[in-house]
Amino acid sequence: MLQLKAIHVEDFGPFKGHQTIKLSLQDGVTVIYGENMRGKTSLLNAVRFAFFGKVLGRGTKSMSLHKVGNWEQAARGKFGFQVQLEFRDEESEYKLSRSCQPRKGVSTPAGDDDYSVDYFVEKDGDVLGPQQAEAELKRILPEQISRFFLFDGELLQEYEDLLSSETDMGRRISESIERILGVPVLTSARTTLLRLKEKSEHREATAAQGDQKTREFGNQLADLHAQRKVLNEELQRLERELENSRSQKASLEEAMKKKERVAALLDKRDTLDRLMKEIDLRRSAKQLELQQAMAGAWCAVLAEPIRAATKALRDSALVLQTELMRADVLRDLQANAASDCPACLQKVSADARKRIEASLQGAGDKGQAEKRRDLSAIQRKIAALEQHAAGARSDVLRILWDAVEEAAVDFAAKKGERDEIAKQLENVDEDSLRKTKADFESTIRLIDVFEKGVAKTRESLEQNKSDAENIQKRLDKLAGGNIGAERKRRELVTELHRLFDESVGAYREQLRKRVEADATRLFKALTTESEYSALRINDSYGLTIVHQDGSDIPVRSAGAEHVVALCLMGALQNNAPLRGPIVIDSPFGRLDRGHTKNIIRALPTMTKQVVLLVYDDELPPDLARNELKSKLRGEWRLERRSARHTELVPRKD
Amino acid sequence: MANDKKTIGITKANASALAGLVSAGRFGSELDAAKFAMAHALKAGVQSGSTDGAETKWNVGSFDPDGSLRSLLEALRPDAAEPYRLAEHLMNEGIKSLAAQISAGSDLYLTLFPQEP
Repeated sequence: MLQLKAIHVEDFGPFKGHQTIKLSLQDGVTVIYGENMRGKTSLLNAVRFAFFGKVLGRGTKSMSLHKVGNWEQAARGKFGFQVQLEFRDEESEYKLSRSCQPRKGVSTPAGDDDYSVDYFVEKDGDVLGPQQAEAELKRILPEQISRFFLFDGELLQEYEDLLSSETDMGRRISESIERILGVPVLTSARTTLLRLKEKSEHREATAAQGDQKTREFGNQLADLHAQRKVLNEELQRLERELENSRSQKASLEEAMKKKERVAALLDKRDTLDRLMKEIDLRRSAKQLELQQAMAGAWCAVLAEPIRAATKALRDSALVLQTELMRADVLRDLQANAASDCPACLQKVSADARKRIEASLQGAGDKGQAEKRRDLSAIQRKIAALEQHAAGARSDVLRILWDAVEEAAVDFAAKKGERDEIAKQLENVDEDSLRKTKADFESTIRLIDVFEKGVAKTRESLEQNKSDAENIQKRLDKLAGGNIGAERKRRELVTELHRLFDESVGAYREQLRKRVEADATRLFKALTTESEYSALRINDSYGLTIVHQDGSDIPVRSAGAEHVVALCLMGALQNNAPLRGPIVIDSPFGRLDRGHTKNIIRALPTMTKQVVLLVYDDELPPDLARNELKSKLRGEWRLERRSARHTELVPRKD
Repeated sequence: MANDKKTIGITKANASALAGLVSAGRFGSELDAAKFAMAHALKAGVQSGSTDGAETKWNVGSFDPDGSLRSLLEALRPDAAEPYRLAEHLMNEGIKSLAAQISAGSDLYLTLFPQEP
């Protein structure tokens, strides 16, 4: 079992210069205290870098190595960093050193390409060759299962995906779990036996081809085997492509999750852009209408004076018309002296006649003509006033004007909102985000294509198998040549394959039961809720909390998620053929004091060596000492020297 | 009347104000804006007079194709012997006044739709 003895870091993150942390080989827990930004995650990453050459940033994404070196040293022109781990495994002593240094000829590196990463492994004092070193590291701690040894709160949260069989992340974790539990040993053996079975079938077919009695069946089987070979190759190719696409989808999903807020902002901005375009079109259309209507706006301004003038002119016209009509009547009376008055139908007296003549002489023809001209001028003016009064459509103008204003206000509001979003998006790489989205969509389409391809190829393989079995049955009734020996071989390998096929299922079932039992035992020790009685495992190793009344607890908090994930970790460690130390970064951040105490007490039972990276408030030193007692194997502190310099020192308070 | 103007013009100083009125987007043409300014001045009671230095912008044929504007001015300002000269004067005064109002932060809206007292 892997046990860490010491971690040496040099210019790694905030750890300036060469610094060392020594770990006890006795069973128990070492606690390393450090406040935020002091380098807890860097220390976890140092172990990760030593084993796998990788450093993870937030969201379990690989970080640029250029950014990992100590900044104070970089400011002085010293770039690069190194980590050395001293550990024991299977009675051997190891030293693993991995360094990241600027390439030859690069004095001021600008990116990861300017560095070269190198490592060597010493086993019991001898330096191993590159291939042997790689094989040893893969045996001691395969990267695929590192998540069960080196983790933080964020990684613990991912275990919730195991409850859903649809997420690729869940599928990946599930595969990692089977890997740590040793299932691949059986599945690999089964695959090998399947190949051997197919090979023996082919040999039997070849033997059958050599004899006249069995030749026809032999030929048919050989054809089917050739076809199966092609189908198997195609299936493997499709499964590889499908796996790659699923991994790609999971990575893209993660990337999109990180950029969810930015994506929402981009969507909102695009929506606002679209709305602004629509409003602008509406505003332009209304503005055009308004401009056309504004040709008569001047009449609207003069509506009141026009009304007053029209009234005055109508009054004048009426006076003139009355005067002209009176003159016409008088002229009629003068011309028809004998006639009666047309108004009172009485004789016109001589006196009245004189007055008529006097009146007509005073007005004169010339005066009448002038009055007619004046009346005509007034009527022309009235017509002009009426014409312009009709053009004064104030109500229409107001509606159009308000509509334009409303659109302008609407536009300005949307623009304000859009500008605010644009400010927030100033440093966002939109192209990369769009590309991620487009890649995600095309990956989903690809997965669909590959899944259909896999299903179809499997169908063809099943058909091929069924056809071969039918022919095989008929061939089994015949004998000849050396077919007997090949048949025995085929039967033996077929039986072995069947045995391993069944054993994979049985082993999985056993493992699930054992993991469920161990996880439940741990959960009962860790949970502070007395009504929770067990954890139930699903086919993907997802764990559901079970209430004492037998019902499932469908929703759980982030804190409960951590507790359940820790139970799974403990159960896996207990059932895994490969064991090692657990290095955990800030696992108690979401937990209350009760759960923290329970977990601290349970940690030494989960594995032999635990390294806890915590801050004081998360795990007060007194609490750790009281709960761990003799299982507390060391206390270290990440001591601040400057913002970019932390020292690893033994805690002595 | 025989001496009345055959063309209507805008002074250099008012030309840019008129262009500004149009570019604000509410008017479809300078002629519409100029007529609006004329009506504004007329309503505001600007006295009859004539404008010196106006540079020809329109001839009366395009300014008042059916002569109805002249009749209207004669109706509203019976004392005006030369309606087109009056129209030109009112336009220039109106443009000046509107430009001053707008630069003081007022709006054409209030000119067009005066608030009820």
